Amino acid sequence: MPVVTDEMLIKVAKVIGGEEAVKIIEALNQSDEMTEDEIVAKTGVKLNDVRRILYRLHEHSIVSLRRIRDKDTGWFIFYWKAQKDQVEGFIISQKKRILEKLEMRLEHEKNHAFYYCYTPGCKRVTFEEATENLFRCPKCNKLLTYFDNRKIIEALSKKIERIKSEING
Amino acid sequence: MPKQNNLEQKALDIIISRGEKGVLQSDLWREINASSREGSRISIRLENKGLIYREPELSRGRWTYRLYPKRQPVSIDSILNCPCLSCEETLRCGAGGKISPNDCDKLIEWVLKEDSG
Repeated sequence: MPVVTDEMLIKVAKVIGGEEAVKIIEALNQSDEMTEDEIVAKTGVKLNDVRRILYRLHEHSIVSLRRIRDKDTGWFIFYWKAQKDQVEGFIISQKKRILEKLEMRLEHEKNHAFYYCYTPGCKRVTFEEATENLFRCPKCNKLLTYFDNRKIIEALSKKIERIKSEING
Repeated sequence: MPKQNNLEQKALDIIISRGEKGVLQSDLWREINASSREGSRISIRLENKGLIYREPELSRGRWTYRLYPKRQPVSIDSILNCPCLSCEETLRCGAGGKISPNDCDKLIEWVLKEDSG
């Protein structure tokens, strides 16, 4: 049984589909299942946007759907349902994905010395790149000086530790 | 009448939302519109599943249990503002690629901002 609060369900909906997704998921969370027309009536979100957001939430399994063919018209009617039990899986998989990127960046920061021209909009370069450019910024041509990245390493390490401890519970 | 599982989930949601304060079993079953017998069975089932723990407590002259969540609810807060969550390049971003976390300013801006805040 998932240990997920309504607040977390709403935050996840916002990440996936913005404010309109929040309205939709709040409506779905209050009822067992709803058709698209019912969602439109309850949230005031346009039908096209409701569909677009529902499919995006469905890609991440945050909502599920049941399809029934209307006997009179022959058209399909979709019944949508919030899947709170999938929120934990979504959050953990996103944390793992981001953790991988942060660890890769930490290694990069630790393994290189950086040089910078300190011009807004320009990028730091590694020592190897700096020597190739004779210690001139490849973008603005200003002189490159050493950049102390200890703060970045420290912040990355802290974030990695926090996410790791959350994943491992 | 809601399914038993729905009642269990509802009860668990309430217990989680109260956190360290816990919730009295006798108050809980009123909140989920269940009978006292159902309420007590639900809390026993949640305890058996390892999701909550119960501590006896005397309330208004009667013995009942205070229910606490065993696990902390999962939270997205630590990555909520991470640019990777909404980045359109996320599928192409990786080691050795043209787009890589090693070259991403937004990623570092986020980490530094979270660290200072």
